[in-house]
Amino acid sequence: MFFLTYLRRELRRRMRQAVFIALGLALGIGLVVTVTAASAGVKKAQADVLKSLYGVGTDVTVTGPAPKQHRPSSGPSKEGQTFKLGPGGAQICQNGKCHSAAGQTIDNLTASNYGPISQSKVAAVAALKHVKTAAGGLALTDMGVKIPKNFGGPSSQPPTPNSFNVNGVDTSHLSLGPLSAGTVTSGRSLTGADAHSNVAVVDSGYAKTHKLKVGSKVSIAKHSFTVVGIVVQPQSGSPPDVYIPLARAQALATAGPSGKSLRNEVNTIYVAATSAADVAAVQAEIKHLLPGDTVTTAASLASQVTGSVSSTAKLANELGRWLSILVLIAAFAVASLLTMAAVSRRVREFGTLKALGWRSSRITAQVLGESVAIGILGGAVGVALGFAGSAIITSVAPKLTATIASSTGQHVVAVGGNGGQQSFSPTVTHTVAVPMSASVTAGAIVVAVLLALAGGLLAGSFGGWRIARLRPADALARVA
Amino acid sequence: MYQLTNVSKLYAKGGRTVPAVRDLSLAIADGDWLAVQGRTGHGKSTLLNLLGGLDRPTSGSVELDGRDLARLREGQVTRLRAESIGFIFQTFNLVPTLSAAENVETALIPLHVGAAERRRRVEAALDAVGLGDRARHLPGEMSGGQQQRTAIARALVKEPKVLLADEPTGNLDEDTRDEIINLLEKLWRERGLTLVLVTHDSAIARRAGRVGVMSKGLLTIQAGTRPDPATDPVSS
Repeated sequence: MFFLTYLRRELRRRMRQAVFIALGLALGIGLVVTVTAASAGVKKAQADVLKSLYGVGTDVTVTGPAPKQHRPSSGPSKEGQTFKLGPGGAQICQNGKCHSAAGQTIDNLTASNYGPISQSKVAAVAALKHVKTAAGGLALTDMGVKIPKNFGGPSSQPPTPNSFNVNGVDTSHLSLGPLSAGTVTSGRSLTGADAHSNVAVVDSGYAKTHKLKVGSKVSIAKHSFTVVGIVVQPQSGSPPDVYIPLARAQALATAGPSGKSLRNEVNTIYVAATSAADVAAVQAEIKHLLPGDTVTTAASLASQVTGSVSSTAKLANELGRWLSILVLIAAFAVASLLTMAAVSRRVREFGTLKALGWRSSRITAQVLGESVAIGILGGAVGVALGFAGSAIITSVAPKLTATIASSTGQHVVAVGGNGGQQSFSPTVTHTVAVPMSASVTAGAIVVAVLLALAGGLLAGSFGGWRIARLRPADALARVA
Repeated sequence: MYQLTNVSKLYAKGGRTVPAVRDLSLAIADGDWLAVQGRTGHGKSTLLNLLGGLDRPTSGSVELDGRDLARLREGQVTRLRAESIGFIFQTFNLVPTLSAAENVETALIPLHVGAAERRRRVEAALDAVGLGDRARHLPGEMSGGQQQRTAIARALVKEPKVLLADEPTGNLDEDTRDEIINLLEKLWRERGLTLVLVTHDSAIARRAGRVGVMSKGLLTIQAGTRPDPATDPVSS
């Protein structure tokens, strides 16, 4: 075919220039592929962290409003339980009445992070148009502490509390929620038959720390639960330490400061949308149904994750993206200018072809073909560079960390010697190590091919525009 | 047949209007050989461009077989050039990356001739100019005379009615010049071409049926003084 013969010969003649243009495009495309791969890797790392928080398959999470904090200036709370440390020693204040805490064991299961949502709302959410399924859950904290008898004395040491996260799991919807992402490594998971039993599944990290195994006992709200399984989450994020049946959690837990029972209440609803495209619609529908509650999607939750995974995401999304765009623009500009220069050098050739009866469009197609061929070469090298860049990132990048802040569920009031009070609700941060793995996706390759074609077509179009304006008499006169 | 009527071509140059061709009326019959002489810059090449449809007159008409090139759309003129007009240039104007055969083939591309037919016609054209054994050579691998023969083959492979040659021997030595002119004359006779040849060389111009002299855009036609080939060194 004459078109290809001509194209091949011309590219061979301009080999050095063609290679230079192709390498410029390759650099830009390689950067785009690498940045896309790094970005995808960071997103995957974020997703892994999020999965460990809310489980596989959960698109939207609804949480009750955070409970109002107790105001220290108003004295002991009239509702719920408050633990006080002060000159008079340790005191437990229950529903506004305080008594000495010395020698007592406190073991409370409370929901301090999120306010309650009526369980009937779970069914209402499940019935929404774009919702596939919904399950309720209780995110709770068990706080146990033994107060020494001499606590508050001059030489007493503060007690060491034992606090762990407990998740009440709807055993009829085990495919949603944090337990769904876990893999049982020992024993079994919870089943529908466990709904009213004092059984628990324990996270492997917590089990290891506390030397728990299947058959061990765990005290939750002063009740003994039998460990029936050990579960490991895909990323060691901040998964709950202990999973118990939702009905048991509802029976034992109280709402944070208010101390109200959580029977027939949940504080988290895990929602699966009918499709990924419907997540935004589901979010809007739930906000309309539950205006006072917090509706969170994976995307919005990702913004709450901090640490180097977040910094890297910003780096990849902002600096990386702009750097890629700048390099691409430079590569496209260089390719276009060099193509224009090549067309200028070939004015006599194109003028002659026009004199022979070649249409401008036919000559333009020839130049476009040459540019696109260079673009495809640049694209191929760019994809290879992208794979290489991704491999380098994967091999040399340090592990990223994701930091997620969460409340301990405790409320501490410190009374000073002058009678003043200070209170705070301590939070703990979980820092998770996440391996950074940049992998080139099919989408990135498609983008690379499209960019290569765009670069070639852009450069060729400038050349074509120059050719279309070329009058054969002028072209030939310039030679003479 | 060409019929030029009151053709003028003006160029704007440095704020002034410069007439390259002035009020030119001329008829060139089919099979005629017109040689155009004149000093550089007096409108010879402009006249050739007007005849080839490479440029349009500022006023007047340039008719080829009754079709006014000045009034045809660009695509129609391009088509006409592809089918009916062959060009030969002083600097050969071969595509340097294409072989002799491929350069000749470029003239058949706009005519959408099939590949097998193209090969056959290219081979015949190169044979006709005595370059059958140089088909695969690149222009850079050939002498000036061979390159001009290739250009002649390219001009004639499409079997045009008209051949427009702009100083075809201007870049050649004397022996090669004679060789090329003899070849052109032979092809002109054999194929019944209408040949318009621009040249500075009076010896070549004398071999044409008619000689025109361009001076300041005006063309003066002189009677043909075809010499006896036996006594003229150029024709021997």
